[in-house]
Amino acid sequence: MKTHLFELAVRSALSRRSLLKGAAGLGAMAAMGLPRGAMAQEDSAALRAQILQIPGVGAGSPTDAHWQQVGELCLGPTRASVAEGEFAGVELTFMGLNNQNLHNFLFRGFLKPWEAYTGAKINWIDLAQADYNPRLQQAIATGTVDFDILEMGAPFEGDTAGRGLLDEMPDWVKEQIDMGDYVGYLQPPVGTWDGKTYRVTIDGDCHTFAYRKDYFTDPTISAATGMTEPPATWQQVNEFSKKIVGQTDPLTGLPAYGFLDPLKYQWGGFGFYFLEDRAAPYAKHPSDAAWLFDPDTMKPRVNNPAWVRAIQDVMDLVGTEGAYPPDQVNADPNATAFSQFLGGTGAMLTWWGDVGSNARTSDTSVVGDVAGFSVNPGSDDVYNAATGQWETLPDGPNVAPNMAYLGWGIYVTNRVSGDETKRKAAWSAAAHLGGKDLSLWMAAYPSGFQPYRNSHFDYAEWEAAGYDRAFVEDYLGSNLDSYNHPNAAIEPRIPGIFQYYSVAEDELVKGLSGQYASAQETADAIAAAWERITDQIGRDSQVALYKASLGMN
Amino acid sequence: MPAPPVPPEPGPELNTTGDLLHVVTADDLPPARVALGRALIWGSGVLLVALFLLQMAQSMGWMTPWFETWRPTLYAYLTWAACLCWGQVLMRGEQGKRVLFVLPAVLFVVSLTVFPLLFGILIALSDWNLSSPTGRQFNGVANIVQMWHDPFYWNALGNMAWYCLAIVVEYTIAFGLALLLNAEIRARKFFRVAFLLPLMLSPVAVSWMIGKSMLEPRFGPLARLGRALGWDTPSFFGDPVIAKLTIMAMDAWTYIPFMMIMLLAGLQAIPREVQEAARVDGASGWRGFWEVTFPLMLPVSVTAILIRIIFKLKLADIVINVTSGGPGGATDTVTSFIFREYRDRSNVGYGTLLAMVYLVVIVIVMTILMKIADRFTRPQT
Repeated sequence: MKTHLFELAVRSALSRRSLLKGAAGLGAMAAMGLPRGAMAQEDSAALRAQILQIPGVGAGSPTDAHWQQVGELCLGPTRASVAEGEFAGVELTFMGLNNQNLHNFLFRGFLKPWEAYTGAKINWIDLAQADYNPRLQQAIATGTVDFDILEMGAPFEGDTAGRGLLDEMPDWVKEQIDMGDYVGYLQPPVGTWDGKTYRVTIDGDCHTFAYRKDYFTDPTISAATGMTEPPATWQQVNEFSKKIVGQTDPLTGLPAYGFLDPLKYQWGGFGFYFLEDRAAPYAKHPSDAAWLFDPDTMKPRVNNPAWVRAIQDVMDLVGTEGAYPPDQVNADPNATAFSQFLGGTGAMLTWWGDVGSNARTSDTSVVGDVAGFSVNPGSDDVYNAATGQWETLPDGPNVAPNMAYLGWGIYVTNRVSGDETKRKAAWSAAAHLGGKDLSLWMAAYPSGFQPYRNSHFDYAEWEAAGYDRAFVEDYLGSNLDSYNHPNAAIEPRIPGIFQYYSVAEDELVKGLSGQYASAQETADAIAAAWERITDQIGRDSQVALYKASLGMN
Repeated sequence: MPAPPVPPEPGPELNTTGDLLHVVTADDLPPARVALGRALIWGSGVLLVALFLLQMAQSMGWMTPWFETWRPTLYAYLTWAACLCWGQVLMRGEQGKRVLFVLPAVLFVVSLTVFPLLFGILIALSDWNLSSPTGRQFNGVANIVQMWHDPFYWNALGNMAWYCLAIVVEYTIAFGLALLLNAEIRARKFFRVAFLLPLMLSPVAVSWMIGKSMLEPRFGPLARLGRALGWDTPSFFGDPVIAKLTIMAMDAWTYIPFMMIMLLAGLQAIPREVQEAARVDGASGWRGFWEVTFPLMLPVSVTAILIRIIFKLKLADIVINVTSGGPGGATDTVTSFIFREYRDRSNVGYGTLLAMVYLVVIVIVMTILMKIADRFTRPQT
């Protein structure tokens, strides 16, 4: 769970009763002492209920002692597969992040009991988010990979697995972590290359649609827009954004605006996800896994009619006086979410899950009580790249939620492949961190990670832990629907994917500032830049890796 | 290498030719010592070359991997450097000791400046995308051709010209402030410190405090002021021209104090008598400034402007943080473009070439400017 989500939960769910309940559970456990071997045999449900009481919702942020406690309690699967002291003398290096004092800090605590039991020792490389990509890329490019276990986002699988730098996951790990429990989009091919599995998933990521409920109940606005329900398609979003011009925000009394596109798309590659949100339902046909490139040639699809329509939609709104707040051209995604939407400007945006939690926890948010969430909007018709035709699907609008970034995972590098003991140790550590029960705790307490297993969405468990049921269902429900959507738009996990995004952002803002004659020309410029990157990285290898990432080999 | 001739013994009379430095010890070097020095240098040199060749062969894939890192070659280089220094003393005695004053510095500069520069040129002439499985490939002048046809680069260079022109305005303001602070005003010391404060701020802090907070178009105090003054929709980074001017203003706000303090130092170095003499001769305040103070300040002014141009050419942090070069590239600088090319797109070869070309452009432009300035400030006789 993200820290702010936890704070929200605490604020909304904290009651005297739940606090006492949590405290009582903790006190009872402390009185019993730390149960060791006996815990492994305990019923899984009891264990899950027990760890969710550490430290208890409302009992403050968890500390290293709590992480160790949870790590110890969740050691059951490790005890079953590894003998005590089996890895004595083994040293492993773990490279990961230190964002918000989470990530590696938690892993240290979780793995301390694992180290004590197995006898292995772990050395840590902590990186700030901004240093992560250069450090990883340079290690790969210069052949100086100096870590055995790696915390990594799925988009980098092309750079690592695609180059044979990772170690294939042994079957016993797959069983231990129960991969069948992963939500739909994290099932293979994500986490796999050429049919081989490499990733222990510890996180989920996707964009969802956030909207202001009061914009659809305010009679004056509804009279102008003709809409009393939040839009379900981009066509409705665009129509709403044009019709609302001249209206007044029901909350702030300032001018009302519709959808908030971050017109300053340049955001280190991450800004392109927001154009993808618009383009995915136009471009991602249910019969085709690919939507950014042609898998056979790596020819970009970014200048096909579907993408051009998405760019044109934004251009149309830019050309509509008053459709965006003033200075929108200087609003990056961060500004649209945390400055505009949470500050009471604009009716809708797409973003990761944390905008929802911030809506209620952030001191600067004024929209806490009127924010609603759903899956990203769909489209009335979808472009079929195979036939070159727009199609209207028989079962209604085409929905293709954007699984932006795909979340973090734990990987093992091929440095350990030659040493069976070391290899087993590395995978055992990774499996411990991605364990089913431990992951529930990570989903429920501040960890930097979001829920990613179907078992994480058992709202009764959360309620029993002291969470407010409405809160849990509200925020997690929209994620769950996106995660398991059969037509989810999965980004290509090819090497250099953020290079493509970054250069697209540069060209896109040029197009929006009128430096290209049309949306088509803008899209063509992006496509040309993408072709250059593909040629530079190597077309044949990109084609092979793209196919592998789509599970097409 | 033959031993240098032993300097003549200093005679009773002052020696005006030959080695003028006082030699403390007579360099009567035994052949064994000279041979040892030679052996040290050559021995360590051979070790260095051998290790280097071995490691090269390994990295080229000509032999089975043996070394894990390049550290053995590094250690061999350090050993050779130490032996070279030591050998100088052994072989050349007193002369060698004198060499020791310079040689380590030379080796240091070669290791940390010349070698990386050569390595950088090699990278600049390579096709090296960190994501490419083929790694670095020498591609000759292809990067230069790409640069020649890259509208983003030329746009950024054009912007740099505009940014540099803004220095004229900055200089004028800085000079005015310096004159003010040089005058007998109240709380002069306080103002001197207060005016310096912006310079002490990190440009990143300036980006966030000014660019992202004070200039925020909805709630920012300057936007509110703009609205109060009748500007309907204040937007400081929305329009290309206004965005460029705002970036110029933020950069100027940070660095005007720097020029000001240099000019103030220059003003304080001018003897008061000069102005007093001008006044006695009947010069008005303006003529006193324009025909006496300003010409006297020319050397300082030129120095301040040249250093400011160097700073300006490196402008990046404010742009990266506030506009990312937008809108539509209007505020992009060469450095912020290189940053995107290098960091966001891992395009090491092309990014390095852009930086190298920019370095050459800066060196050429600065040389020309210094020549012109030199002629300009030469005392008129």
